[in-house]
Amino acid sequence: MRLLVVEDESLLRQQLKMGLERAGYVVDDAADGVTGLYQATEYDYDAAIIDLGLPQLDGISVITRLRAAGKRYPVLILTARGDWQDKVAGLDAGADDYVVKPFRLEEIQARLNALLRRAAGFASPAIVSGPVQLDTSAKRVSVNGEGVELTAYEYKTLEYLMLHPDQVISKSELTEHLYAQDYDRDSNVLEVFVRRLRQKLDPEQTLHPIETVRGQGYRMRAMD
Amino acid sequence: MVTTRIGGYSLQNRLLVAVSVLLTVFLGLTGAVLDRAFRNSLETGVAEQLQVQIYVLLAAVDEADGDFYFSENLREPRFSQLNSKLYGFISSASDGELLRTASALDVNFQALGLNHDLGIGETRFGRLQAATGTEFFVSSYAVTWENRRSPILFSVLETTDTFAAEAAGFRNSLWSWLGGLAILLLVLQLLLLRWGLAPLRRLATDLQQIEAGESEALDTSYPRELSAVTGNLNLLIQSERKQQSRYRTTLADLAHSLKTPLAVIQGELGDDSRQSSLMREQLDRMNQIITYQLQRAVSTDNASTLARQVNVAEVIAKVVRALEKVYADKRVNISVDVDPALHFLGDERDLLEMLGNVLDNACKYGQGRVAVSATLASAAPPRMRLQIDDDGPGITVAERERVLQRGVRLDSLAQGQGIGLAVVVDIATSYGATVSVGSSELGGAAIVLMFDNIRVTA
Repeated sequence: MRLLVVEDESLLRQQLKMGLERAGYVVDDAADGVTGLYQATEYDYDAAIIDLGLPQLDGISVITRLRAAGKRYPVLILTARGDWQDKVAGLDAGADDYVVKPFRLEEIQARLNALLRRAAGFASPAIVSGPVQLDTSAKRVSVNGEGVELTAYEYKTLEYLMLHPDQVISKSELTEHLYAQDYDRDSNVLEVFVRRLRQKLDPEQTLHPIETVRGQGYRMRAMD
Repeated sequence: MVTTRIGGYSLQNRLLVAVSVLLTVFLGLTGAVLDRAFRNSLETGVAEQLQVQIYVLLAAVDEADGDFYFSENLREPRFSQLNSKLYGFISSASDGELLRTASALDVNFQALGLNHDLGIGETRFGRLQAATGTEFFVSSYAVTWENRRSPILFSVLETTDTFAAEAAGFRNSLWSWLGGLAILLLVLQLLLLRWGLAPLRRLATDLQQIEAGESEALDTSYPRELSAVTGNLNLLIQSERKQQSRYRTTLADLAHSLKTPLAVIQGELGDDSRQSSLMREQLDRMNQIITYQLQRAVSTDNASTLARQVNVAEVIAKVVRALEKVYADKRVNISVDVDPALHFLGDERDLLEMLGNVLDNACKYGQGRVAVSATLASAAPPRMRLQIDDDGPGITVAERERVLQRGVRLDSLAQGQGIGLAVVVDIATSYGATVSVGSSELGGAAIVLMFDNIRVTA
């Protein structure tokens, strides 16, 4: 999951970035509205966290313009004033939820999880695809009710695929959303993760939850 | 507030009294002078007439054997008419009365007490009070007569009643004219004063309108004498407004600059050590105190800010849209029943804040069913009833009073519903509105706000 954090206070920005990276997100950051808007429209993020009080271009304008540019991913606003005029203005401009400063990182994560799930069209924190169940808030995966141990990267790969069921996800899209910018895109790490995921989810090779679409990428089969 | 006591210290009354006194003195003196002049000229007229009558007597009198007689008919008919009020006498100091005109047959000569000490050829005019009480004008002329030693006095008398009647008639009409003139002038002066002082009254109404928030600044169309004052007042109002908005901005900036470091500190704290949980608690409290005091400071002086008109339905729609997004997971169902003609006279920010807090609580603590209604409670004076219902646990009767107390310190408030409502009560009170808490038909709490600062438009 690739996130954009736009916040002018550098300490807070670093904290958010590090905290979210520890939680398994790939995080880009921007310190002002203009840079933030450029990144928000130039790259395809899974979600953005935007502070309302930004230098050069305020948060409301950033949100309005990125929505005008056709970006549909969820946006979480940070507001320091915390009055309803700010919140309503932000939500009206196209944001999806708000967090009032000061906040706890867990609160941000919970809101982000909910937004990402909602954006993918799932109402409850648990995403189910056949026997595979993924709990986005607890970050746990089970198959037929039995817990499966996954590494952080394996979990991220599975989560992204399950949030986009029946869609062909190219390797480059996956890499972009899962790993930091400087990651070597030519490596075969992704294939290794997918192979290990298949083994852990489907040791008997009966379900085939992840399909390989030759020359295009991977697809999570939607199962009832 | 400008207060005018009837008959009290008022510019108009002061000017009115001063001008009235002036007018009375001026018209009184004028009247007295005119009256005096008229009487004088009237008396002069009488004196001349009597003089003429003396010549008439002189021309007609003759003497034979020591007796005086009228040798011809007197040319003045009133001398021949008994009691005609015009009498002629011829007398001397030594012999007393010598001759009288026919008109004077009834007159008691002794009672007249005519003065005989005139020099020869001297004429004397004056008033004379007879012993009988009648007042006369008298004109006497002393001459030497042939062989007589003492001078002969020709006297003509005329009663003063004709003169008095004429003078009284003049005086009456003079004073009634002057009185009428005084009333006319007083009315004119009153009108002039009202017209002249009208800009001052306008200034008072304008200031009241500013106080009530119906207008932003004073008109510039005041007379030159006042425009210096109104100009300075406008500057004062402007600078007060600027200061107020600077105050608000400063507070917002303060909140912003305090909260971001708070967020950093909170982020730096480890997850589970006991120390950090204490610090977190304290950080939470600091944050809540900042939030609460900021909202109070920003919202307590609404009365003096420029009132604006906000459509209630639009504001409610905004808040509902926002909350439906925020509580999308909970699938809250907010039913809205709002009269679109209702307008809130005040800051949109304040209405948003009140609605946001109450509706947010309703969504947060309820199970998903929320109802908001804004209706006209009474048409004149206009009154709006704003009610928010939820299906949450509600607020117990015991808690209700505490929750509604104004200016409660944050430390003493319960989490959640309490904090939000305290802010709502503060803002509502600053608009003179009332807040009450009851039980809802939906099963939870019903918060009712009654506003008077309302306008209904078609």
